[in-house]
Amino acid sequence: MRMPRRALAALALVALVATGCSDPASETTTGGPATWAEPTAKLDGVTLTIWAAQNSNTVPKQVIEAFQAATGAKVDVVTIPDPYEQSVQTKVATGDKPDLAFWQPTASMLTALNAKANLQTLDGAPWLDKLTPALRDITGLLDGARYAALVTSPAVEGVYYNKEVFAANGITATPKNFGEMLTAARQLKAKGVTPFFEMGKDRWATQWWVQVQLADAAKAGLWDKINKKQETFSSPVVLDAIKQYQALINEGLFNADIKTATFDDQGAALLSGKAAMAVQVNSFFGQLQAKADTATLDAKIGFFPISPTGNVGTFIPDQSNALVAFKTGDAKREAAARQLLAYWMGPGYAGFIADRKTVSLQTAVQSPAGVPKALLDVHSSLSSSVGSMQALAVANPDLYINLADMIAGTMTPEQVATTTQEQFAQLAKAAGVPGF
Amino acid sequence: MSTVLDHATGVPTGTPPQDSARATPARARRSSAISRHTHPMWFLVPAFAILFVFFFLPTVFNFVYAFTDWSGFKSQINPVGWDNFTDLAGSGTLYASLRITIGYAVLVAVFQNLFGFALAVLLERDTRLNHLVRVLFLIPVLMSALAVGYIFQALLKPEGALNGLLSALTGADVHTAWLGSTSWTIVVVAAIHAWKWMGLSMLIYLAGFKTIPVDLVEAAHIDGASPWRAFWCIRFPLLAPAVTFNVATALLGSMNGFDIVQATTAGGPARTTEILNIFIYRTFGQGLFAQATTMSLMLFLLVALLAFPVIRFLRKREEIL
Repeated sequence: MRMPRRALAALALVALVATGCSDPASETTTGGPATWAEPTAKLDGVTLTIWAAQNSNTVPKQVIEAFQAATGAKVDVVTIPDPYEQSVQTKVATGDKPDLAFWQPTASMLTALNAKANLQTLDGAPWLDKLTPALRDITGLLDGARYAALVTSPAVEGVYYNKEVFAANGITATPKNFGEMLTAARQLKAKGVTPFFEMGKDRWATQWWVQVQLADAAKAGLWDKINKKQETFSSPVVLDAIKQYQALINEGLFNADIKTATFDDQGAALLSGKAAMAVQVNSFFGQLQAKADTATLDAKIGFFPISPTGNVGTFIPDQSNALVAFKTGDAKREAAARQLLAYWMGPGYAGFIADRKTVSLQTAVQSPAGVPKALLDVHSSLSSSVGSMQALAVANPDLYINLADMIAGTMTPEQVATTTQEQFAQLAKAAGVPGF
Repeated sequence: MSTVLDHATGVPTGTPPQDSARATPARARRSSAISRHTHPMWFLVPAFAILFVFFFLPTVFNFVYAFTDWSGFKSQINPVGWDNFTDLAGSGTLYASLRITIGYAVLVAVFQNLFGFALAVLLERDTRLNHLVRVLFLIPVLMSALAVGYIFQALLKPEGALNGLLSALTGADVHTAWLGSTSWTIVVVAAIHAWKWMGLSMLIYLAGFKTIPVDLVEAAHIDGASPWRAFWCIRFPLLAPAVTFNVATALLGSMNGFDIVQATTAGGPARTTEILNIFIYRTFGQGLFAQATTMSLMLFLLVALLAFPVIRFLRKREEIL
């Protein structure tokens, strides 16, 4: 540990030089408003890279093949390992960027990618006029600029239920509000059915329970107030929702193995009728589709949105719903990336949704046959739904991890609230939100 | 008894560097003359260049970025003074992670040395079988830590091979979630870490045993010491340098642990195995680069602060010899 004086001097010099460094991800190209090439214009010799997660890497398969055939471009889909968002942010921070990537199109996640510096704006994109008006500006915007292209119907938090279990236990109509849902749950429990199923081990779905309870408050501007520090996660409105969630678990309305249950267990339990309901998002239904065919799902699984006073859904566009285009510094590839999006949402759109059996976002394009009933219900709840924490808050703290810790018994609801708030403030401060 | 013997032999123990340190001045002069002629100093340049770029420079940057607001959210990096440190000091998560990290390191140090020592004792004799078995126990050391982690994670799953084996042996259906307990998982993961590295400890203990002169032990036997007493009073104390190396590397190395924990539990269940590096990784992944850097600086300082007293204490033990 003896360090010669000269080495110390060198160290100090390096430190001085280093302070003059800047973020490697900050080199940007600035240009005028983007131009949009004809979707099928020739692109021979151009290679585009799309980053996708393990659960979205098959989404673009058909549309990419069609695009390659039409333009002569080559498109590589690179799967980035989970945790996807974390891996992508780390890569982008070191200056490693693809041409396009699947990305959660919410303001907080666009901020997390430093959208202004790293992403191309998609203002004036040719497909915008074709979108269903209610969906056009639902997400993908940050500070008035558009950075993400929504390709599939954004996810909605709500209740997936087993129709057969409901019918067998005398529940004829779906609950009209949160209170009615609890009445139905207690009725089911009395008959020996597990009312709700939660996945404490895989953690991420725990936050839906708190968020659906906040739907009415969100409509009244809760997240705006939290963004301005007028409310916090420790405010009664949020804390009560967390406490309510814990109370329902303690009451025994959830599966007995809640601490160790996984995402996979949850799907299996709802499908087999072992549990009656699960508060979840679209990717849960995607999992059910992998386990059963559309006819079975239509017969067994239903969906209803829920909020304290009614059937208001909470929308949460996720990573598989949208793409962002990066500023790579190569004008030709940047234009080609925009062209791919224009093709995807233009001439290629009908083929894409037919291949994915998913709901159409465009007024002129019909949804294909074979879209499960539950997904159509989810989509129709979108227009009346409110934004989730991810959609409306300026930062996206790990609420779900803290809630999972509460389920495991290592945190109290108060600790969940304060820890989440601390992290929210930290993220908001880093993002430069005024007041933090 | 051991002191008598020590006086008689004039401290014959020690690792090779110690021996050379005690070499006569004449020999030292001769060897340095040789090194001057056959090994010019600039031979060190490639090694130092790599050390500089991949170790020294990052460490310096670690100090610099800890005082900035570097994040994934914006392009500018501005100095913020001690902000990151005060924020961290005010957060309970850091202390929880630090506690877990130290507990984990102590557990690994204990397990790794117990396993390694036991193996060295068992495999000490130079038989052909022992040679083979030593190689087998050294294989985990050469394996990728992530691979080790994933293998154990699969073995220890509720529906994994270990429960399958136990079910077959007991006839009952065993469904223990070995990595599911909020209080015991840290012990299991530390044991896995120790399992991976025990071959290295074994090797160093074996080398330590080899340096003990046979006549010392023979003298003890002639003096009427039982094999048990000869082992614990003669040979074990003479292993002190090996203990120093093994305890220090296991303790300080596991404080920097990441891969095995990430592969087995990723910090779960309920963050009871979230050692500091996992916390840093999570923070970095959220785009809070400066905060993550500050934490890793704290880890660096913690390891450095711990290293001095630990090594000093262990060295003191050697001096008694």
